[in-house]
Amino acid sequence: MREFVVPKTDTRIQGEVKLEYAFQLRAKFDPAHRSRTPKGDFRYQDITSGDVRGERLNATVYADSGGQYDTVRPDRVRDVDAHFILKAENGEWIYVEHVGYRRPDGYYRAIAYIDADTKGAYDWLNNTTFVVTATESADERAVVFYYYVAN
Amino acid sequence: MTRVDRRTFLGGAATTGAAIALPAFAAAPATTAGATWYGGPDTDIPKIGLRWAFCATVFFADRIMIGSPAPRGYTSVGGGEIWGPRLQGRVLPGSGADYYKTTFNTYYMFEAADGALIFIHNRGTMRRFQAPPEPGKPLVPAENNGAPASGAPPVWTRFRATPVFTAPDGPHAWMNNTVFVANCQRQSNPDHTVFTYYEVL
Repeated sequence: MREFVVPKTDTRIQGEVKLEYAFQLRAKFDPAHRSRTPKGDFRYQDITSGDVRGERLNATVYADSGGQYDTVRPDRVRDVDAHFILKAENGEWIYVEHVGYRRPDGYYRAIAYIDADTKGAYDWLNNTTFVVTATESADERAVVFYYYVAN
Repeated sequence: MTRVDRRTFLGGAATTGAAIALPAFAAAPATTAGATWYGGPDTDIPKIGLRWAFCATVFFADRIMIGSPAPRGYTSVGGGEIWGPRLQGRVLPGSGADYYKTTFNTYYMFEAADGALIFIHNRGTMRRFQAPPEPGKPLVPAENNGAPASGAPPVWTRFRATPVFTAPDGPHAWMNNTVFVANCQRQSNPDHTVFTYYEVL
């Protein structure tokens, strides 16, 4: 990097973020396969089914298209890493990725990154940041994800 | 100094045994004061709160393009300032860059006021629309994604970033367990970007 002097600035801008509810996904997973790794306890859960319901997106989970690839850290926080594919009601394919945390106190939040066909009906999902909250059943196999657009 | 005899100490250990067996995670303060809550059309949809955590003013220095199959950009982080209620400090000069490929993808370091080094991996999305959102109305994408053209109408730019922090044990450890979302605004004269980070509650 070339020499760079940080200019003095009196910028004190506070930008806004507003959330707008978009859709929910009721997903079913297989029981977790656990393995001990140097990074913590790795936890793989296959996604077996699910339905997305919302004003602007209705879709089903493409069975076995992926799942949760989480790591339970030594402090018991789960680093959430999920990847799977949806099939929209008009047949278009959609990719979903979750990155977030599930904490022992019940906090389950993530950011979702979604890719859809730019020429299709769901282009609005592209370049959109989603904030997600989730509720998990006691056996951790039924999860409902609620997606909000970060506007 | 308070003297604790062995009996008192063991009694205390018995009741907090679970906490001793496993390291506790560093939760953020339980209070949600100052948060704005958002909900859905039905009351059974869990609400999500956002609370301003801090701002980072980041000056980008070099800009390089690599003509790889999907072009890779490099925009170095020259430095900057961090201010706000939950974190103060500076952006460590020359500590990383935006190595974007299609979208924003930065890796660099924060140096908190107490000297702690905090790694930030920040991904982002940007999209231009004809006007800011209004409740119940879908956003309409700007023509040519807002590419400048003479006489083109003004656009509303939605530029959001989602960081993942790696912070050391201690007062900043809550950043390791918290999801954030940021508003990003490009400023000119001098060229820099202001990131306003919100903690997701």
